[in-house]
Amino acid sequence: MTILHVDAITKSFGGITAVDTVSLSIEAGELFCLLGPSGCGKSTTLRTIAGFEQPDSGQIRINGNDVTTTEPHRRNCSMVFQDWALFPNKTVRENVAFGLRMHDVETAERQQRVAETLSLVEMADHAGKQPDALSGGQKQRVALARSLAVEPEILLLDEPLSNLDRKLREAMQLEIKSIQQETDTTMVYVTHDQDEAFTLADRIGIVNNGRIVQTGPPAEVYTDPTNRFVESFLGTTNFITCEVTAIAEQTPQAQSATDGGTPPVELATPFAEPIPAPDLDHLDLGATVTASIRPERVSVATTQTATTDSWLFAAAGTVEQRLHRGSRIRYELAVGETTLITERRIDERLAAEVGDSVIVGCQPTAVTFFDADGRRLR
Amino acid sequence: MSVTTGSLRARFRRTDRRALLVAPIVLFDLAVFVVPFGYLLRISLTERTSRGAFVEGSWSIAGFEYVLSTPTLVDSIIFTLGFATGVTALSLGISLLYAYAIWRATGGLRVLLLVGVLVSMLTAIIVKLFAVILLFSPSGFINQAIVASGIVAEPLSLINNVTGAVIGQLYIVVPYSVLAIYSVLSSIDQSVIEAARDLGAGRLQAVAAVVVPHTIPGLIVAGVISFTWSVGSFAAPLLVGSSAERTTGIAISDLLQQNFDWTAAAAMGLLVAAIVFVALSVTYVALGRTNGGDDE
Repeated sequence: MTILHVDAITKSFGGITAVDTVSLSIEAGELFCLLGPSGCGKSTTLRTIAGFEQPDSGQIRINGNDVTTTEPHRRNCSMVFQDWALFPNKTVRENVAFGLRMHDVETAERQQRVAETLSLVEMADHAGKQPDALSGGQKQRVALARSLAVEPEILLLDEPLSNLDRKLREAMQLEIKSIQQETDTTMVYVTHDQDEAFTLADRIGIVNNGRIVQTGPPAEVYTDPTNRFVESFLGTTNFITCEVTAIAEQTPQAQSATDGGTPPVELATPFAEPIPAPDLDHLDLGATVTASIRPERVSVATTQTATTDSWLFAAAGTVEQRLHRGSRIRYELAVGETTLITERRIDERLAAEVGDSVIVGCQPTAVTFFDADGRRLR
Repeated sequence: MSVTTGSLRARFRRTDRRALLVAPIVLFDLAVFVVPFGYLLRISLTERTSRGAFVEGSWSIAGFEYVLSTPTLVDSIIFTLGFATGVTALSLGISLLYAYAIWRATGGLRVLLLVGVLVSMLTAIIVKLFAVILLFSPSGFINQAIVASGIVAEPLSLINNVTGAVIGQLYIVVPYSVLAIYSVLSSIDQSVIEAARDLGAGRLQAVAAVVVPHTIPGLIVAGVISFTWSVGSFAAPLLVGSSAERTTGIAISDLLQQNFDWTAAAAMGLLVAAIVFVALSVTYVALGRTNGGDDE
């Protein structure tokens, strides 16, 4: 069941369009992440759902009811703020009880729900403390409890973990996920941290320049990006700028008839070897195409005898640098006029030292192509 | 045993040295507060006389008896306390709104509002009170505006009466109150209002439940400033009030300069100081109690 419909909302601040015709539909019980760089409009989208901002156009529906102009306190959603926004002169218990008090929940039930929520976030022992006496992680738990206590239909989280250190952040991510599953709360979670989004989300919406670029399950957006921005935002990749140098002549009829057997487009690369690409839609000779290969999918042969027959291309290169990065080793390989990055697990390190010659390539499925406007070519 | 004595001596030495740090302020307090206050106390306990200010070296409580048995002086004390209470209440209300407006404003508007307070604070009291006359007199701007708009037919008498005295006194105390409240407000994050709204509080409810409790320390300071200053008010009732607005400040000034009765003047000054001290202590304790009792 779809609980939240965001229908083509647009919001500008003084001529700058923060949110540009964003549409979303969120299923009940789902954890949806809005992922994007800072300033991309994801927080404004969230604040519009909460009711703190009025969209210039578009509609927001919760459970089918139009709430676009409804005041925040009359919407059945609750927000966890980036800086937590705990009430400074109320105890932890009073903070959590606040929402219930505002909803006129009677004392006995209120006390019971506060106690339950506090134990859900493991803060029952700190109920009498003032927010000032709590650590960042504890404040985060109280903020979460305060919002959960009112049993919102949708819980909105605005980068709730960005003020915590990495270790605590990772622990809290798992905890939020388990609380979400335990309480079956629908959550819309804003973050700029792709690891966080991948850890938490059932679905991810990638936001750039006020627009939703792609929506889908984490694995899908990572392996099947529709857009060059998504490819570059979701982790490191190698972009190779190529030029279309040959397109096999064929009629449209022939194209549809010869399934899979179509002659490839040939792309000139910054290194000696051209990349034979599969048939890509409407390309002209001389057009610029960007090929992207993830570091973990770059193939490297360290001996001349290695089989490279199945590779899409095989170019000569040299190991330029080797960086140890914890459990992984990053190699920078000079290939023609460009540098490709590859990563190997420490137990799968390359049998090559800095300065050694290697052969660099990749499997045909490892490459994704984008046109000059950043659109995915298929 | 010898160890204990040694450490005790060392501790004394350390205390002595630390005491030196407070010495300047103690000396300053002695010179400008304790000594004059003691002198005032001594004068209040002398014999009254019609030949000179007071009888030197004599002991008597005639000054206090005179003040408490003279209806005009007792009325003056009662009027002053009422006046100060009213001004304080209005000052707190206005200042809370103004400070809240500064806190919520952004950019240029916030600067403008703050500058408004500071300019008013730095303007001499007399200049400020003449501004009040210009604004509020029957031919002043405000009366012209409301008569022209047809709300009233005749100009309202806003000065040279108790209204004028209150307005004048508010012009003096409000800037200080605003800053006292704003300094506390500025220490909380505005997102708490959104958080409260988000959890089901209406606009006013959010402010009342989250912001106002936080401003209590600022309200106390603002209240003390407004009240003590108004109890000692002199210029405002004198310039924009009428002869009916005879505050203790004016009464004491008359005792000193017209009656040349320093004993009675000192006694009245001490009585007012004592009443203010008691009033503030009671309020402070009462506020502390209500604040501490706000638990689930």
